[in-house]
Amino acid sequence: MKTAKENSYLAEVSGLSAGYGAHPVLRDIGFRVEPGSRIGVLGPNGGGKTTLFRVLLGELAPLEGSVTVRTRCGVVPQTERSRLDYPVSALDVALMGTLGRVSWWRRPGRDERRRALGALDEVGLRDLADRQFGELSGGQRQRVLVARALVQDARLLLLDEPFSGLDGPSSERLGSLLGRLSSEGRGLMISTHDIEQVRGWDMVLCLNQRQVAFGKPSETLTRPVIEATYGPQVVVIEGDGTREASAILPPQHHDRGR
Amino acid sequence: MVFEPWTQGIMQRALAEVALLGLVGGALGCWIVFYELSYSAESLAHALFPGLVIASLTGLPLLLGAGIGVTVAAVAVAILGRAPEIGRDTSVAVVISALFGFGVVLALSPASPPGLQGLLFGDVLGVSNLDLLLAAVLAVVVLVSLRLLHRQLLAVGFDRTTARSIGADPRLADIALLVLIGLATVVAVQGLGNLLVVAVLVGPAATARLLVRRMAPMMVLASLLAVLAGVAGLYLSYYAGTAGGASVAGCMVVLYLISLSVNALLRWKRKADGATAPGALGFAPGPSGGGRDV
Amino acid sequence: MFETIFGPFALPFVQRGLTEVLFLSVGAGLLGTWIVLRGLAFYSHAVGMAAFPGLVLADGLGFAAPIGAFFTAVFFAGGLERLSRGKKSGHDSLTALVLVGMVALGVILASDVFFSGSNIDTLLFGSLLVIGRWDVVFAAATSAAALVATLVFGRVWLATGFDPESARSLGVRHGLPDIVLLLLISLSITSALSAAGAILVTTLFVVPAATTRLFVRRMLPWQLSSIALVAAEGVLGLWLSVQTNAPPGAAIAMLAGAIFILALLTRRSSLAGPPEPPSIQGDQNRKILAPFPKNY
Repeated sequence: MKTAKENSYLAEVSGLSAGYGAHPVLRDIGFRVEPGSRIGVLGPNGGGKTTLFRVLLGELAPLEGSVTVRTRCGVVPQTERSRLDYPVSALDVALMGTLGRVSWWRRPGRDERRRALGALDEVGLRDLADRQFGELSGGQRQRVLVARALVQDARLLLLDEPFSGLDGPSSERLGSLLGRLSSEGRGLMISTHDIEQVRGWDMVLCLNQRQVAFGKPSETLTRPVIEATYGPQVVVIEGDGTREASAILPPQHHDRGR
Repeated sequence: MVFEPWTQGIMQRALAEVALLGLVGGALGCWIVFYELSYSAESLAHALFPGLVIASLTGLPLLLGAGIGVTVAAVAVAILGRAPEIGRDTSVAVVISALFGFGVVLALSPASPPGLQGLLFGDVLGVSNLDLLLAAVLAVVVLVSLRLLHRQLLAVGFDRTTARSIGADPRLADIALLVLIGLATVVAVQGLGNLLVVAVLVGPAATARLLVRRMAPMMVLASLLAVLAGVAGLYLSYYAGTAGGASVAGCMVVLYLISLSVNALLRWKRKADGATAPGALGFAPGPSGGGRDV
Repeated sequence: MFETIFGPFALPFVQRGLTEVLFLSVGAGLLGTWIVLRGLAFYSHAVGMAAFPGLVLADGLGFAAPIGAFFTAVFFAGGLERLSRGKKSGHDSLTALVLVGMVALGVILASDVFFSGSNIDTLLFGSLLVIGRWDVVFAAATSAAALVATLVFGRVWLATGFDPESARSLGVRHGLPDIVLLLLISLSITSALSAAGAILVTTLFVVPAATTRLFVRRMLPWQLSSIALVAAEGVLGLWLSVQTNAPPGAAIAMLAGAIFILALLTRRSSLAGPPEPPSIQGDQNRKILAPFPKNY
């Protein structure tokens, strides 16, 4: 891994407050994304993870504080129902990544198609390029959206609960893909509810309407921090005496799937 | 001058009709607005149209026509569940247009008697005592139903997903509202016509919502506003000679727009003055609490 | 028998109507797919209805109908967009009420200001007799504009509809493409008003595209088949209108709707989407405003 230099960060946030209308949903957020790091973003639904992503993407202006994003930012969102019915193939979705680079009035040419196919190859879905997006499995859809971000040449990727709903093998495939991407020097911010998964990554950001903690998992993921982040949802499983494992009660998904 | 219009039988009956449709529209309208069913209410009113036309042509009571219309619409909407690719709103729009078009073909074809225009725009000055009696009966049915269903509707509208756990039934609420909107449409269509019925179903309730936060007072206020606006419309029609139904509908819409503007102006002024908490004229939150997925 | 079937097509006003419909079919077919894809059915319906008082004004004051129609339609669309920026809930009540207000205004204007009450049916449901040469030219022009705009903005429209939240990060930095789409829809609908009337004009746009979508799964075939179906239903609808003496808007709506229902019932369910349980779709009308970046 490259040594992180002072001035090589991908994005930096300091003193950030953001929200909709008069009341901020997030307060006092400050962190930095170094190239090649996987940052797990933990926090309850409604705790501000999606808001933070929107600010980083430039969709939402901060109420206070500063946001510096020095590279193209790609987002891998959750797949809503309406997206499943879209008349697009996996390749079409990957090609959407070329939107910013090719002027509107030009059709995507051979170059763009090659890039898109290459990106699909990187995520292991080259032979499903012509399949309808809606017909792919959950894990495959996530990877197609990652491919879209790769086509954009985004050095910073924001992934919104990409592992939710995935079975073991798909999860592993996605996890190793993300590992590969970070070793290429990209920065990844991955929101998740899986604490144990985050322990394997480089940094963790705990959000609960404010920044509870930011740092290396080994130092940061202590019981007080987890409880401050998740409150009453935390369940602690007594380990074998040397270590406690904590798990989070299944998050309420009733406000998803809209 | 104030009492002159009401000396005539026509106007007296029109007043009674307006009072009835105002009561029903205002009260039911609060639920339509709460459940965010404005578009569905309009669609349903349009979907009933062929039923009303057929009833009118064959001499059957309008209520029967409305009943058939509601059933057909419900069946159509159920079948539409089979088309996930095009989205529910689009499917509904398609079926409504088809049904409405069919109704228009029937209503406006030369073989049909003229005056079916009345079904489209209302004929508030032409209601008979029999019409009023029917409307009164339906109004009572609707109001009593709303009274009985009040807590169910409140629970389901507030939080659909947890409603079952407290003993409420979302499906019952949906069906009840569907039927009640159908009945209210029959009451209102005589005065306002199929195209303008939505004015009374949504206008006074939306206005009341800007002023009052709790449901029961809102329903009372909405009914009151509806009747007042209706009376104003009748005055307008009498003195300015404008079309009856359109005048009543127009007054309801104008009332809402005025209230909305005043509300917006006050909120803007409050923001400029630096205040934080909304006062009595505060904007009432929607059923989802205006919450966003953060 | 030959005479009864093809007789109507010999009449000059019917021929003009046919030409108009055929020109319209390109715009209506293309924009219909975008309307269905982006959930703009209600917006289109609203534009048609909002045009009604404009039509009455034009009819009463004696200027060209499309101008009056377009004016009120844009006024409505612009006003709606502006008003919706501020509030999130209460949006659909406002829209419904503004619409019904427009209809009431149109009725009052027609029956009590201009005394053109007898024309109301024509304005609401269309008539072959009022289609003039300029209507046909206008229809051709808007269809051409729709074609060009699709070629230029199609990819952006597709990507924005697919994932509005990511639009900005993909490089769609301002609302211009979507404004163009909404404007173009207003324009096209205006051009179809004389034939189909204010209330049912959207059926020409929405229903054929929805019908073909049941069978076709990629954009280009969908667009082409929609254009073809609009043409077919338009021609057949006009014929029906002449035979039954019903207004063309109503005849087309009825026909298109019947074909849609038939298609829905007869297609095989294997073409349906993945076996996930359908969630309740949110109000798609609000989605027209989602692509506009919040700090635009």
